Amino acid sequence: MPLLEVRGLIKRFLGVTAVDHVDLSVEPGELVSLIGPNGSGKTTLFNCVTGYLGADGGRILFRGRSITSAPPHRVARLGIARTFQQVSVFPRLSALENLLVFLQQHQEESLFARLLRTPRVRRFEAQAIERARRLLDLVGLGARADLDAGRLSYGQRKLLAFAGALMSDPELLLLDEPAAAVNPTMINQMKDHILGLHRQGKTVVLVEHNMDVVMDISQRVVVLDHGQKIAEGPPAVIRRDPRVIEAYFGR
Amino acid sequence: MRRAGWLALGVVVATAPWLVAAAVPRQQRYVLHVLIFTALFAALALSYDLVVGHVGSLSLAHPAFFGVGAYTAAILATAGRWPFVADVAAAVVAAALVAALVGVPLFRLAEHAFAVGTLGLGLVASVVANNWVEVTRGPLCITGIPKPRLGALAITTLPAYYWLALAALAAVALLYRGLTTFRLGRAFHAVRDNEPLAGAAAINPLKYRLLAFTIAAALAGGIGALYAHYLSVMCPEEMTVALTVNLLVIVFLGGVGSLRGVLVGAVLFTALPEVLRLAPTWRLVIYGALLLLVVIRSPGGLESLLRRATGR
Repeated sequence: MPLLEVRGLIKRFLGVTAVDHVDLSVEPGELVSLIGPNGSGKTTLFNCVTGYLGADGGRILFRGRSITSAPPHRVARLGIARTFQQVSVFPRLSALENLLVFLQQHQEESLFARLLRTPRVRRFEAQAIERARRLLDLVGLGARADLDAGRLSYGQRKLLAFAGALMSDPELLLLDEPAAAVNPTMINQMKDHILGLHRQGKTVVLVEHNMDVVMDISQRVVVLDHGQKIAEGPPAVIRRDPRVIEAYFGR
Repeated sequence: MRRAGWLALGVVVATAPWLVAAAVPRQQRYVLHVLIFTALFAALALSYDLVVGHVGSLSLAHPAFFGVGAYTAAILATAGRWPFVADVAAAVVAAALVAALVGVPLFRLAEHAFAVGTLGLGLVASVVANNWVEVTRGPLCITGIPKPRLGALAITTLPAYYWLALAALAAVALLYRGLTTFRLGRAFHAVRDNEPLAGAAAINPLKYRLLAFTIAAALAGGIGALYAHYLSVMCPEEMTVALTVNLLVIVFLGGVGSLRGVLVGAVLFTALPEVLRLAPTWRLVIYGALLLLVVIRSPGGLESLLRRATGR
């Protein structure tokens, strides 16, 4: 059974069909890239899957169960994490707290226990802090743990957002342009992080414009154009596909 | 040093009735009255800040919840002859129920529409208090609200009222701290600072907004009940838009989202207008000028001044 299955997804904005009957199936452990020119519907597809936009048609299944009209927090709770194209952090929380936010809702505790800070809740918090520190070290922000996230550089915020998506140990990661607008060193870093996740058996769907990254690490590439899927296959094949070349470079 | 400072402040606050009696024996009643008002206003402003400061929703409905609590307690204590503790509890529950009920549709409105929606609720509450004469007695006010009684302890003197108000303030402050720090506080702040990202962190923004809104309303209801018992009269004028303006001044000029800032704001902006009565002609002019000065010199409120001064 595919981990994520999108069937005939349709999303329209004021008469423009941003996603037009798209099918997408992702197997557990796969690393899939979604590419296409600007406005081809990649991010819209992400937003539909993660509950930020309601679909106008079609179905979305996660582990065989429908999440078609689930709100973002419920989708996240099921084990789907995402990052945003515009770097998104909680600016007034410290880097460490930014990560803690991403785990605490996945730990089973009542609001009342949370207010009273029962021993169980304190244990959860300690576990969360430990994991957050490990992830901060992983992305090289260990020394910035107590700094407000709003005061980090663009690249650091991007890494923080990435680490946040990893906090709850999600089964499926949807990464929206993790390598956009960062320097080459960081692009390589990001590539290594994503490959690391892949080796751990995580399922990753990547929206990315950087073709080097896409062709280097993906097992499979899905190409969208004007909201439609125009090609799908291994990177080596997609690179030579005439429809893809046309969509990207025109005739 | 810091500890000693806080301890000294605590002792002064707790023993204020005696200090006042020693320092200004002839104006003791008046000063205590101002102190009681200050404590109740500080508690009310803290409850208001839960919504405005911590989940970032500009609610203008707080007087409505204050009024629901005050009227519930006033009516139950007079017509129903309920004991003090029971009518205060009922006031808390009634205000919370109203908030939970109106909160669901109100939070569907985007920011500014939410503010206008809550303003509408505040106006409706005020109109009801004025015109539902069979229940609220309208502009004739509910009179003869009995003095509070805690078991065998009757709270009749001004010092006793002061300690009751102080205990209420302490309870509200404690709850405020518990709600706005640690894991709950983090969830509230996540919703306030970046709602879409909070969703990606599995936080249900509506749930946390509604939680803060309802708890704030419950507290406002309880404080309304204490207020009604203290004045022994409850009139519709106690819950007008003017109260919202007062709360906004206290919270935003004190320091939105900060326990210390809101407390300082409450003390300053409740007590100050009274202190300025010494210069009656210039009172409002001086008050207005001070407000302007704070807004211009420290847009983050007094809290940001304090932070600069104490280095944290």
